[in-house]
Amino acid sequence: MKQTAPRSNYLGVGGWIWAGNYKLERYLYLLHRITGLGMLLFLTFHLTATTVFRIQGQEVWETTMALLSNPWLKAGEYLVAAAFVYHGMNGLRLILQEFGFLLGKPTPPIYPYKDALRKKRLWVVVMMVVIFILALVFLFDFIV
Amino acid sequence: MAEFNPEKITFKVQRYNPENGGAPHLEKFTVPFNKGMTVLDGLLYIKENIDSTLSFRASCRMGICGSCGMLVNNYPHLACHTQIEEFHSDKLTVRPLPNLSIIKDLVVDLTPMFSSHKQIKPYLIRGEAGMEDPNAEFAQSPQELNTFLQFAYCIKCGICLAACPTSASDRLFLGPQAMAQCYRYCADSRDQGQKERLPLVDTDHGVWRCHLAGACSEACPKGLDPALAIQLLKRQLAAEALGLGKRRPPSPVVPPIKESKPKVPYPDFTVKKEK
Amino acid sequence: MRRTRLHLLHMFSGIAIAVLAGIHMVALHLEEVLAFFGVDASEPTSWGAMIARSSQGIWVGIYIALLAFLLYHALYGLRGIILELTPSARKERVITWLFVVVGIAVFIWGSYVPISLLSS
Repeated sequence: MKQTAPRSNYLGVGGWIWAGNYKLERYLYLLHRITGLGMLLFLTFHLTATTVFRIQGQEVWETTMALLSNPWLKAGEYLVAAAFVYHGMNGLRLILQEFGFLLGKPTPPIYPYKDALRKKRLWVVVMMVVIFILALVFLFDFIV
Repeated sequence: MAEFNPEKITFKVQRYNPENGGAPHLEKFTVPFNKGMTVLDGLLYIKENIDSTLSFRASCRMGICGSCGMLVNNYPHLACHTQIEEFHSDKLTVRPLPNLSIIKDLVVDLTPMFSSHKQIKPYLIRGEAGMEDPNAEFAQSPQELNTFLQFAYCIKCGICLAACPTSASDRLFLGPQAMAQCYRYCADSRDQGQKERLPLVDTDHGVWRCHLAGACSEACPKGLDPALAIQLLKRQLAAEALGLGKRRPPSPVVPPIKESKPKVPYPDFTVKKEK
Repeated sequence: MRRTRLHLLHMFSGIAIAVLAGIHMVALHLEEVLAFFGVDASEPTSWGAMIARSSQGIWVGIYIALLAFLLYHALYGLRGIILELTPSARKERVITWLFVVVGIAVFIWGSYVPISLLSS
């Protein structure tokens, strides 16, 4: 009989994004990762602007600031602010839950099954509402 | 809700035969529907009546053996545990579990899962006294039992690995199954193996690669909560690293029963003994 | 317990960033909201306001602490993502040392600028 190695079926990065019809937390995890990477990208631009351009004096700084007041870049800046709010507040929830708070104790599984995250979904929803309100506050200030 | 009672169900099953080569492809089968039919019943009908080359793994037909985990309509299920009626659709797409290698058709290679399960030492470890020459059981209260009991119900079907986003890309990741079992033994009051087990999950591909996506707990067909177990394991690791928390001694061996008088007197014999 | 300590530091730096960058964001973005509470913070990105901030020791301290926490948090997070993509022990060592070097270099440059501006 011919022996063949099993065919790999790892989903790879695609599996981070979608692996089936799952609910809320899996997408919060994905958004946490995306906002983190996005802010790291922003950080490189931001550090360049505040060190390399700032140290060259008033004129270079003011040209940079004039460049950054472009409405598209302002919108991008708002996205960074919203990402910061999300990443920070969701991170706070993750820290609490990773230490076993807001999750309850292990209980014997009784049908219909409910896992700890679904039993304590309220905390996740509360955090999402807080994030939404803070993001609206920042939006208000960017528009005014 | 409207009564779900179609005449026929269309199964789209992913086929892959390593000997013929070629990429996995979907094949259509039409199966007559009976009320109370599970996905596994449909697959068995196909194997018996339509195409006997279809391969899948199944044994107990009652959600105990953990052989028939598969992706039904894009969600991992135990085929024997899942009524076709649940989907309210006469089209079913059946695929092997992702994040594991395909051997043939719907059969996946569970070896990585079992090897990482073995790696975390899934047995009681006792200190100096050891498990040598046991002459009595270890004492354990019902409360102590409840801290880990649900994780002892794991049937090792591999569904949590199929759901986990970290397992999707990280092949060295221990996976939710093994780490939940690690917690199950570390939380056991009879166990003393924390010192041996915690370094095994405190690696670059261990407990800190879990980001609480919660998909493993959501998908688990036995209602276990691997995500909760991993978070509690993180708590133990953090307490160990910071030197917090109190250390409990392992539960003692139940002392041998001393000979005592029976508390209830035996009733008199109803038939008189003959002298 | 080495990875656990590194991860605990990651979590702690996350909380520190939430506080320090929170101050930074409120001061620089919420000028209308601050004005409502009676704090005058108009045009926080103008040259004058920026120089005024960088001559105050407290702001320079906040920026340098924020930079240190941010670099650790960001590079540790990125390292985790890269390790999930390409799991291998050899790459892990290379990535870790590369990130340590990059982090220290950026930190020295990023803290040199505000300190040099503080004295000017």
